[in-house]
Parts: sequence; structure tokens; C-alpha cells
Amino acid sequence: MSKEKRMFLEALRRKFKEAPEEKYTKFYIYGAWRQSKRKREFMEYSKKIAKQRGIPMYNPELHLGAPLGQRVLMAYRMSGTDIYCEADDLHFINNASMQQMWHDIRRTVISGLDAAHTVLQKRLGKEVTPETVNGYLEILNHALPGGAVVQEHMAETNPELVKDCYVKVFTGDDELADEIDPRFLIDINKMFPADQAKQLKEVVGKRVYQVCRMPTATSMSCDGGTMARWAAMQISMSMIDAYKLMAGEAAVGEFAFAAKHAEVIEMGTLTPWRRARGPNEPGGIPLGYCADMCQASRVKPNDPVWVALESISMGAVLYDQFWFGSYMSGGVGFTQYASCTYTDDILDDFCYYGADYVKEKHGGFGKSKPSWDLIKDVATEVSLYGLEQYEKYPACMEAHFGGSQRAACVAAGAGVAVSLATGNATAGINGWYLSQLLHKEEMGRLGFYGYDQQDQCGSANSFSWRSDEGLPFNLRGVNYPNYALNVGHQSAHVGIISAAHGGRADAWTTNPLIKIAFADKNLVFDFTHPRLCFGKGALREFMPAGERTVIIPTH
Amino acid sequence: MPEYKPQYYPGNTLPSQNRKKYLDPKYKLQKLRTISDDDLVRIMGHRVPGEAYKSTHPPLEETGEPACPIREIVTPTPGAKAGDRIRYIQFTDSVYFAPVTPYVRAWMYHTRYRGVDVGVLSGRVPLEARERDLEKVAKELVETEIFDSARCGIRGATVHGHALRLDENGLMFDAYRRYLFNKKTGEVDYVKDQIGVPLDKPISVGKPIPETDLRKRTSEFRVDGNAFRDDKELINWMQRIHMLRTIAGFDPEKVKGI
Repeated sequence: MSKEKRMFLEALRRKFKEAPEEKYTKFYIYGAWRQSKRKREFMEYSKKIAKQRGIPMYNPELHLGAPLGQRVLMAYRMSGTDIYCEADDLHFINNASMQQMWHDIRRTVISGLDAAHTVLQKRLGKEVTPETVNGYLEILNHALPGGAVVQEHMAETNPELVKDCYVKVFTGDDELADEIDPRFLIDINKMFPADQAKQLKEVVGKRVYQVCRMPTATSMSCDGGTMARWAAMQISMSMIDAYKLMAGEAAVGEFAFAAKHAEVIEMGTLTPWRRARGPNEPGGIPLGYCADMCQASRVKPNDPVWVALESISMGAVLYDQFWFGSYMSGGVGFTQYASCTYTDDILDDFCYYGADYVKEKHGGFGKSKPSWDLIKDVATEVSLYGLEQYEKYPACMEAHFGGSQRAACVAAGAGVAVSLATGNATAGINGWYLSQLLHKEEMGRLGFYGYDQQDQCGSANSFSWRSDEGLPFNLRGVNYPNYALNVGHQSAHVGIISAAHGGRADAWTTNPLIKIAFADKNLVFDFTHPRLCFGKGALREFMPAGERTVIIPTH
Repeated sequence: MPEYKPQYYPGNTLPSQNRKKYLDPKYKLQKLRTISDDDLVRIMGHRVPGEAYKSTHPPLEETGEPACPIREIVTPTPGAKAGDRIRYIQFTDSVYFAPVTPYVRAWMYHTRYRGVDVGVLSGRVPLEARERDLEKVAKELVETEIFDSARCGIRGATVHGHALRLDENGLMFDAYRRYLFNKKTGEVDYVKDQIGVPLDKPISVGKPIPETDLRKRTSEFRVDGNAFRDDKELINWMQRIHMLRTIAGFDPEKVKGI
């Protein structure tokens, strides 16, 4: 990127009438909420609903003091795309692709097949061959969505409602993979660039993992903990069918135990009681797992900045919008805290600036060992650059009208740059914290109360290994004590991890099984291009799964 | 042992020096305007001028306080002594050369005033205190050089505006339009109290400070004013704090002698 070209200028020109450098504008003349097509639409719906149900609903005139829209209600450009939308389109309730991303994560159950095969072979004396595995997979593709395989007179699910439900397997063994029916195979060789495939196959080895996708309808109706149980139930039944077992013999319990517990890759751990969520919910998903779910690294492995930005958008939606914005709060949610990292190409500009700086001053990506001098140099430079853009371009400052938005983007730029230079995400997060402290002194302001709290003590825990704090950065998440507080951090933290490993040309960041499990063209959400997919959701061009059209009246 | 002398703030640029000055309680803030006590009470909107202070408990003299060494050390403020309720004043400071920034404002409250409860956000700083104590503090906050009628706002809710561009008169955006620029007088008039309730009559808070003067008084770094990049001492200080915290977090023994 040319240092003279700012990536965000085009978006700023579309957002505001005045030039991005202009310091003055006009207020109070835009017709308040009526300037927004979306809010006019909301009002029309609201009037109809109020008439139908006899209870009033949405009315922006009820806003304390003055209705929304006393300033220009600006459009948002989905970074890295040509898509423009309104802020409302980025609230996850209004965006079907955001919902689908979370459903696709929650409904994914990865579990090993090796324990079950061992039970079959060693305990029951059954033969397990590629043919029997293919037979089992065909049965499970019938059973997993809710089809009966053993019982008589069963209620079953309508396939049209659960058509997004299926099972596939993957292995690091090319010979075995060749014998698996390609309809059921996540083919590592086909889905990943050769060097990434080599790394992944080496680590998976001869083990076989099944990737079950539960129905989105189940994800919508039940909780995260449901998924492994649902999968285990149908896996056990399918084993009985495929291997002609007695329904209820003791060994069958082993399949259920393996599928529910022993062989399950727990993507989301339990949260503490005070946050009160079960397993497999966003609060328990480590940052590094989210980075691995993002598949951008398969598409442009030579552009780790782009990969980091794509993964940041996923982190923003998963952690900031779903977890903090809804599980932990709700209502208007934290849309704009989160969307600042994936709109208007502002963070893109900061990150590519940092990447260029690393190439120029530190010999390229992953070329330097983490050191205090490097963290200090890179994080300071990128932070100052980011802060100066807000000051040079008042439109940029107005686009990120909240301090938490600016703090997230400036520190993300710094952290990503340190990660790229060192290939070390823990060094990257330390760069993030230096950035936050510099930002606070530079502007004399940072984020909201709780936002700052995390960052003012972050330096001290970035390399801490004390039992209540010490965790390699990849394994931290919103379940980590100091990160459970507030919004606007974890999105960028996912990118810091992504950049560290992207800079080293790693095939995965934290868990290779998760990386492979999401390399699947049958997923409804496009994990290779999350920002584009969110943009399609904003434009109402994304078709989600789990629609109930076939069981509800025509409407 | 030599007497401890607080330095208040590092740095050698104008914003750093201004921060140091504002944080130092020995520095007397320069008075720039006069707002009557009653008008200030009206803008804050907690009570009608002349109305008695509402209390949440009887005067301390009547309560028979328990024996407590802390109570013996700390002299109650007049508001606490009288049992006043706790009320607030909240300021929003524009990024465009407002005299103080949220953190400077908060630090300053802590070094200058007793019995205050302060919060800091990027776009507002709530200050809570016993009502009569609050009114005394608020007077200084509005009448002196740390307030500018165009770039500072007294706002209880919907504080949005600190990062927005300025209007044609150089005023910071306020969704409620609590204040208006009076073209006849060149002054800024409050027409609503801090929570947005219309006032019976406009209250002037004076003329905006000229831009050149604001730039001299500001404690904000800006690349189009005094760039943070130029304040090496401040940057080095911050980097050092970060380094010490980082190393101590890993192993407190390792920071000895650094």
C-alpha cells in the first residue's frame, strides 16, 4: 500500500457530503430518523404491527430529548468489498448471514471415530473397513437430521427443514481418504494449498474425525450444549444400524460416551456461573479457535493482513455482537462497537500500514524474534499513525465517533503489525496494550469505563503465567477472567492471532482439526469471505438455513 | 528523606505543560466568565434556585456516628456533614482543542476536589458529589479556563458529539441542542438544562474562546496542533510504564534495578 494513499478515503467520501479533511459540517437539518431508508421502513412495519396487535411498538420519536438523526446517519462500507449499507443492517438481528455464521459454528460437532472403531474391532470383534465406514456415513446422513434407524413408529423431521444437516469425515491418511466416498469427505488436498495440506495431514495422521453439522433449526431452538448430545444420539443409533449391533448392549454406550465426551473437540467450554452459559456457546470459544474457523487463509495465504481482517470480522460478530452485545446485554446491542473493525476500510488501512512498516524496518513477516525493542518500535509507530489519521481526517474521526471504536482499531493495527513481525501472538497482544496506553495519553481519552479497565491492566497480564491469568494468548477468549468484561477487544484479538500465524505461513493457528472442519463448501455461511458474506446479509442477498416455510402458512 | 514533590505530568510540549498545570492544585485556574449561582443551578437542573437542599440522612452531628479511626481522620465535606443527596454534573469535551480531555478532567478533579466520584469515558466525564459541594465545584469548572462554551458541553444524557465535526459556528454537536449560538451577542446560550429540559429563559455561558487562544490552553495533542509524536519524554515515559508492567506481570523480581 502506498503510504500516501489512504484506504478509507473512498468510504469517507461516500459517507459524508463534505471532503474527509473538512472540519465543519451542518447538523439538525436531515429530518432526524426520516433521513434513513431503513428507519422509515421500520416505522412502516411498526405502524402495521401496532394496528394488528393493538400494542404500540417502534417509535423513534420517543427517544429522550430528540429523535435519532440530528446528525447525518452515515452509510457503512463493508471493508474489502464495494457493499454499502446502513448501520441497522449490521445489527445481527437484521442480518441473516451473521446469524448463520454463529449457527454454523454452534451446530458443528467434531468428534473422532477412532474410539468407536476400536470398540467395534477389539471389544465386539467387528470388521471396520472403508466400505463399512462409508455405509455408516450414509446411514448417519439419514439419521443425523432426525431420521429413525432402529426404532419403529417414530416421528421424524421434515428433510426440507433440516437440509443443512449432514456428516463428513477427514483424515490425514491419503490412502484412507481415497477410499472414502467423496460425498462424505473433507478432502484436505483439495481444500487447502499444498503446503498447508502437508502441515495439516502430518498433524492429523491416520486418525479419522467426523464433522457433524446439526440442523440450523436445532441451533435456533435449543442451546449449544444440545449439539453434541444430538450428534451422539444419532451416531450411536447409526453405529447400531451400520454394524448390526444389539440396541442397548453395553458397548453402544461407549459410542455415545465417545461422541458426547471422549472424542469431542470441545470448541466452546463452559462459562462460569456468573455468566451462566453451557458448553458450545460463544463465551467459551477461544480466540484462536475463531481464527481457525475463518478460512480466508486458504484463499489468500500470501496476504496475511487480509486474512487477519477477515478473521477480525468474524470475531467482531461472534464475540462483540453475539456474546457481549446479546448474551451479556441485549437490545440495541454493540453493533457499532463491533462494526468499526470491519467497515469503511479504516482498520484495513492501519493494518496494511503496519505490514509495510514491518517489511521496511524489520525484514518482513515472521523474520524477527519477539523483543521489547521491536514491540516498542512497531506498536508505537502504528499507533501514532492511526491516531494521526483521525486527526488529519475529521470525517474519519466522525465515522468512529466513539473512543472505544478508535481504541479498538488503533490497537488492532499495532497488535497485528507486531504479530506479523514476530509470528508470535503473545507479543502481538503486548503491542496492543502498549498502543492502548499511548492512545490514552495522546488523546487524553480512550473508551468507556469498562473498556479502559481491561487495557489499563493488560500490560501486566500479557506475559503473565499466574494460574488465574496465565494462558497462551491463542487460548484466551471472553471466558478468560480479564476479557470477560467488555466489548470491542476480542474481534481484533482474533486478528492478532491470525496475523502471527499467517506471518509464519502456518496452516492453522491453534487447532488444526477446527481449521479442517470448516474447510467445507457445504456450509451455509462462507467462511472464506466473511466480510463479503456479512455484506450480502446486509443487502438481504444471503439465504440462510433453518427457514420454516414448509410448516407455516403461506405468507 | 527529601520531601515528596508531585510532578503531576511528564512531557515538554504545550499540551503536557497544560496538563501539568491543570492537575496541580496550587495552580489557580484563570477565571474567564461569570455565571450566577442561580443560573448554574438551573443548568444543572437538580433543584430550583433557592430551594433547600434535599437530604438523604440527618446532619452527621445528629446521627451519633460510631467510633471509627477513618472518620476521625477525614473531615466531612459541608455536603456530607449536612446529609445532602448526591447529584452530578457531566461534561463532554470536543476533540477540537477543548481545554481539557476526559482523563485530564478526571485527574484534575481528583487532585483538586474532595468528596467527588468521577468516571471517565471517551466522550463524557460524570462528576458526582454531595449537592452543595457539587455546586461549588461546578462553579469553578464552568467559570474558568478549562471550560469553553463552544467545545465543552454540560450534558446529562445523549452526550454524543465529542468526535464530530463542528457546526458552522464552531460549536460541538449536541443532539438535544441544549445550547445555541446567539448571533446578536456572539455568546452561547443554554436553552435546556443538562438533561434536556427546556429552561424558562436562555442562560449565557459566554463567548467561545478564540481558536488561537484555545490552542494555547488545550491539553489535547493533535497532529494539526501539537503532535504527540513530538513529545519524546511523554512517549518514553509511557513505554517505560508499559515495559515495567509487562515484565512485572511475568516475574516481579525481574523489574528490580530497571
